[in-house]
Amino acid sequence: MGEETSLRKRKEDERSLQSNKPQTTDLQKEVGLFSGICIIVGTIIGSGIFISPKSVLSNTGTVGPCLIIWAACGVLATLGALCFAELGTMITKSGGEYPYLMEAFGPIPAYLFSWTSMMVMKPSSFAIICLSFSEYVCAAFYPGCQPPKVTIKCLAAAAILLITTVNALSVRLGSYVQNVFTVAKMVIVVIIIISGLVLLAQGNTKNFENAFAGTPPSVGGISLALYNGLWAYDGWNQLNYITEELRNPYRNLPLAIIIGIPLVTLCYILMNVSYFTVMTPTELLQSPAVAVTFGDRVLYPASWVVPLFVAFSTIGAANGTCFTAGRIIYVAGREGHMLKVLSYVSVRRLTPAPAIIFYGLIATIYIIPGDINTLVNYFSFATWLFYGMTIIGLVVMRFTKKNQERPIKVPIFIPILVILLSVFLVLAPIISKPTWEYLYCVLFILSGLIFYFLFVYSKFGWAQKISKPVTMYLQMLMEVVPPEKDLE
Amino acid sequence: MSVKGCQTNNGFVQSEDTPELELDPRSSVDNPQHQALSIGGPEEPNLQGVRPYAGMPKEVLFQFSGQARYRVPREILFWLTITTVVLLIGATVAIIAISPKCLDWWQAGPMYQIYPRSFRDSDKDGNGDLKGIQDKLDYITALNIKTIWITSFYKSSLKDFRHGVEDFQEIDPIFGTMEDFENLLAAIHDKGLKLIIDFIPNHTSDKHPWFEMSRTRTGKYSDYYIWRDCAHESGVTIPPNNWLSVYGNSSWHFDDVRKQCYYHQFLKEQPDLNFRNPDVQEEIKEIIQFWLLKGVDGFSFDAVKFLLEAKDLRDEIQVNKSQNPGTVTHYSELYHDFTTTQVGMHDLVRSFRQTMDRYSQEPGRYRFMGTEAYAESIDRTMMYYGLPFIQEADFPFNNYFTTLRSLSGNIVHEIITSWMENVPEGKWPNWMTGGPDSSRLPSRLGNQYVNTMNMLLFTLPGTPITYYGEEIGMQDISATNINESYDTSTLLSKSPMQWDNSSNAGFSEGNHTWLPTNSDYHTVNVDVQKTQPSSALKLYQDLSQLHANELLLNRGWFCLLSNDSHSVVYTRELDGIDRVFLVVLNFGDSTLLNLQEMNLGLPTKLRVRMSTDPASQRSEADTSGVSLEKGEGLILEYNTNNLLHRQTAFRDKCFISNRACYSSAFNILYSVC
Repeated sequence: MGEETSLRKRKEDERSLQSNKPQTTDLQKEVGLFSGICIIVGTIIGSGIFISPKSVLSNTGTVGPCLIIWAACGVLATLGALCFAELGTMITKSGGEYPYLMEAFGPIPAYLFSWTSMMVMKPSSFAIICLSFSEYVCAAFYPGCQPPKVTIKCLAAAAILLITTVNALSVRLGSYVQNVFTVAKMVIVVIIIISGLVLLAQGNTKNFENAFAGTPPSVGGISLALYNGLWAYDGWNQLNYITEELRNPYRNLPLAIIIGIPLVTLCYILMNVSYFTVMTPTELLQSPAVAVTFGDRVLYPASWVVPLFVAFSTIGAANGTCFTAGRIIYVAGREGHMLKVLSYVSVRRLTPAPAIIFYGLIATIYIIPGDINTLVNYFSFATWLFYGMTIIGLVVMRFTKKNQERPIKVPIFIPILVILLSVFLVLAPIISKPTWEYLYCVLFILSGLIFYFLFVYSKFGWAQKISKPVTMYLQMLMEVVPPEKDLE
Repeated sequence: MSVKGCQTNNGFVQSEDTPELELDPRSSVDNPQHQALSIGGPEEPNLQGVRPYAGMPKEVLFQFSGQARYRVPREILFWLTITTVVLLIGATVAIIAISPKCLDWWQAGPMYQIYPRSFRDSDKDGNGDLKGIQDKLDYITALNIKTIWITSFYKSSLKDFRHGVEDFQEIDPIFGTMEDFENLLAAIHDKGLKLIIDFIPNHTSDKHPWFEMSRTRTGKYSDYYIWRDCAHESGVTIPPNNWLSVYGNSSWHFDDVRKQCYYHQFLKEQPDLNFRNPDVQEEIKEIIQFWLLKGVDGFSFDAVKFLLEAKDLRDEIQVNKSQNPGTVTHYSELYHDFTTTQVGMHDLVRSFRQTMDRYSQEPGRYRFMGTEAYAESIDRTMMYYGLPFIQEADFPFNNYFTTLRSLSGNIVHEIITSWMENVPEGKWPNWMTGGPDSSRLPSRLGNQYVNTMNMLLFTLPGTPITYYGEEIGMQDISATNINESYDTSTLLSKSPMQWDNSSNAGFSEGNHTWLPTNSDYHTVNVDVQKTQPSSALKLYQDLSQLHANELLLNRGWFCLLSNDSHSVVYTRELDGIDRVFLVVLNFGDSTLLNLQEMNLGLPTKLRVRMSTDPASQRSEADTSGVSLEKGEGLILEYNTNNLLHRQTAFRDKCFISNRACYSSAFNILYSVC
C-alpha cells in the first residue's frame, strides 16, 4: 500500500516537475554572445585560409597589395554585416535574408530565396565543406596521389550524417560542438600567427621588402582579387539565421558581428603575414596545402598538429553551416512556404529536427554524383544576388516603414555601398566568363515559382490530401510539433 | 500557468489544418488502443477521443507517439543512422588500410631529359638556354611528361658544360641567370611538372675557388682534394701509382703551385674532391640543400661510383698481365677495383639521401634521387636501390639500352630480364634508350626502331625516360661538320632540337648555332610531325597517353613470355581487370609469329590496341600467325579471366613492383589480394 502511494506520489511529482518547467515547445534561446561569435568566426574561417589562400595573391602578384586586399575585404564584409545587424535587430526573426525580404518585398522574393538556398545553395555548400574535409583527411593517407573517390565520399557522407544527427539531437550539443571546434580552429590560427610573428621578429622579412615592387596589379586583377577575397569572408550573416535563438538579440547580434568579423579580418591578415615569413609568393601559390607547408617548415617536429587542427576547423565550419542553415527551412516551413512539417520542433529535444534532417538528406544526395564544384561555382552569383536584394530591402524599408523601431541604424551610405558591391559581384563572373549555365541557374531559381503557385498560392486540395497523412506520420515518427508561441 | 499554457496550446492548430481534421476519415487510427492510453491521463480530459492530425500539438502527439508502430520505426531509423555513420567511417578506414602505396610523381609518368644547350635558344646566341626551355613547356606538357630532367647547367669553363663545375650555386651565363632558373622552376611547377637536375659531386673544375685555395694550402681547403707527393723532373711526372684517368693516361697531375700531384678520375681540369674529408661532405650537403630550398624536386647524381678511392693507393691490376706496365694507358686496360665503388661510397650516397629526406616531408614534395651507374655490372647497379632498411636512390638510371650496338629479340630480352630479376623487391624499374653520353638510337641501331623502342619504353613496367628528340626520332649529326675542338664523339647526340622547317630548325634565330643542326631537320621536326597522323611524335603521344590512363601499364604485372632472335613478347595484366595487353615487338627481320605456340590460352583473334605503323590500320591480329615487319611493334588486347601471373607455369616470368589489385565495383586499388 505504502509503496503504491509513494509510487503514485512520485509519478505526480514527476508530472508536476515536468509541467513546472517554463519551457514551451519552441527553439530555445541558447546562443549567447560567445557562441554567437564562435558561429561567425567558425563558419567564416573554414578551410580556405589553411589550404589555398591563393586566389587573392594570384591576382595581385605582390605581397603588399595582397595584404591590403585582405584588409579591404574585411572592411567590406563588416559593412555588409552592419546592414544585417540593422535588419536583424529591427526584424528579430530567424532565417537570414528570408524574413527581411518578406518584410520589404512580400512573399515571392522571400520564397525564391528560401527555395534556392534550401534546394541548392545551402545543402551544396554543406556538402562541399564535408567533401573538402573528407578529401583533406583522406589525402593524408595517400601521399603523392589522389585518394580514391569512394573513400572521400564515404567519409563525407559519414560527416554529414554525424553532424546532422548531432544537430537534430540537441541545440546545446550542436553549439557545444561548434564551440569546441572553433576553439580548436583558433588554437591553430594563434599558433600560426604567433610563430609567424616570432619569425618576423627574428628577421625573416625578406618577402616584405619591396612588398609593392614589380608591376602594380591591373584593375581587372584587383577586382578579381576582391571578388575572391570576399568569398573568404562569406558567412558574415550567419547569426541572422538564428536571431530567435539568440539571448538578448538586440545586444548580442550587433556585438557578435562587430567583434567577430574584425577578428576574422585580423586573423586573415596575420596568417598571411605568417605564411610570407617562410614562403615566397611563388611557393605559396604552388603549395598544395599552405598551412601544412608552413607547419612543416616552422613547427617541425610537431608539424602534425597543423593537418589535425585544419581537419577540426573544416568540420567545425560544416557544423556551423548545418546549425544555421537548418533554420531557413524551419522559417520557410513556418510561413507555409515549404512543407509545414519542416518547421516543426522536436518535443523532447527542442531542435528543428525535420529541417535539419531534410537538409542533411539533400546534402547527402549532392555528394553522390561526380562533381558538385561546378554547380556551386555557377550558383555563387545567386548568393550575392540575394545579399544585394536584402540590402535594397533595407533601404526600401527606410521609406516604407519609417516608424518601425530600429535599435541600430547605419548611415545610409553603407547600404548603398554594399548594394553597389553586390551588383559588381553578381555581374563580375557573368561578364568575365559568360556561359549558358548562369541562365540555367536563373531559370532554376524562377522555376520555384511553379511550386509557389501550385502549392502555396492556390493550395490544391489533392496536394493537401497527400501532405496531411504524411505530415501526421512524420510528426509521430520524429515526435515533432508546431512551435508554440512564447507566452511571455 | 503551465496548465493554462497547455490548454491554450491545444487550440493552437494551424487554421488551414483544422477544417480538414474531422473531414478526413482516413486519418483515423484504431481508437481503442489510444483511448485506453489516454484514460491514464486524468488531468487532460478534453483530449479524450482526439485522433492524431497533421499539425497536432504535443499533448495529442504524446498520446500516440509512444505506440510501437511509431516508436519502433523511430528507434530503428535512429540506430540505422548511427550504424550507417559507423559503417561509413569503417568503410573509409578499411579502404585506406587496404590501399596500396600510390605512385609517386617520379613513378607516375615519363621523364624528359634535356640537354639545355641544345633545346631552345631564346637570345639568338646560338646556344640553348633556360628561358628557351620555359618557352617550350607547352610542348613538353603535350607529351604527357611528368618530370623534366635538365642536365648540368652549373657555371663551368669546360666547353662540354657537363662536368668540371666552377660554382655549384651559379648558373652558367650561357644558360641565363639564377632568376631565369627560378622563373623556369616556377613555370614548371605551375604546369604540375617536376624538375630534377644533374649533380656531379665527384670533382670540380680546376678553376673552382676551393681548388685555388687548396693548391695554396689555405686553411681547411688544403685537404679538399686528393694531393700526393710525386716526383717531377724536367717536365716528366712520376705518378704515385698506376691509376688511369677515364680518358686515358695517368690520373695524377703535377701542380706547379703546390708542387704536388692531384688526382683526377676524368680530365686534368677536373680534380677529384676528397670525400674522406668531412668538410667536403658538409659542403656537398650544403649544395644539395641550396637547390632543394630553391624548390628543385630531385637530383640525378652523376659519376657516384668514382666518389671514393682506396686509401692506400694500391696499383690496380692489369687486365692483360703480360702487358708492359709502361704501355698501359687506356682506361680499359686496368681492373678498377681501387678507384670505383669503394667501401663507404654507398654510405655517402645514403647520407645525401638523408639530406634530401629532410626536405621531402611537405605534402607533394617528395625529392627524387637517381644515380648514374655507368658501365656497371647489374649487381653493382642494383646496390644503388639501397637495402631493405636503408633507403638510397629511388632508382639507378637504367642505361643498358643506351649502349647497345646491335639489336635482336634475344638481346632486348636479356636486358629486360637482367633488370627485372635483380631489382630488389618493391623497387621501381626505369628504362631509357639514349642520353647525352651515347649515340642516338637511330644512328646506333637503325631508323626503323624509333617507334618500336618508344613502344618498348612505355609498355615495360617502370618509369620511361626520354632524351630530347627521341620522340621525333632525331639522329646524330655527322662528325665532319663540327668545328669544336672538344672530344667530338660525345657531341654528336647533342645537336639542336629540331622544332620546325625554318633556319636552324627553329632552335635559334641567331646566325649560327653552337653545333650544326642535323641536315634531316626538314622532315624530322616537331612541326611537321604534329600534322602527320602516322609520325613518331604522334605515336609517342598516344603511347604516353595510354601509359598514363591504363592501370595495366602503370601498375600491372609484367610477364615476359618469349623471345627469339627477332621478337620479344610480354603481357601486362592486373588482378581485377579482365583485359590483358599482349605486346609483341620485332627487333629482327620480318617474321611470322605464332602466338599459339606459347600455350597462353589466347583467343584466335586479338584486337590491335596500338601499332608502330598506324598507317597499316590493322584492327585484328591472328594469333596463329602475326606478321611483323622489321622494327614493327603491336599492343594487342584480349579479354581473359585466367591471368598468367596466377599460373604456376608463368610464375617466375612475371614481375611486379608494388602489388595491387583493382576493384571495378568501387573503382579502387587494394593491396590485400
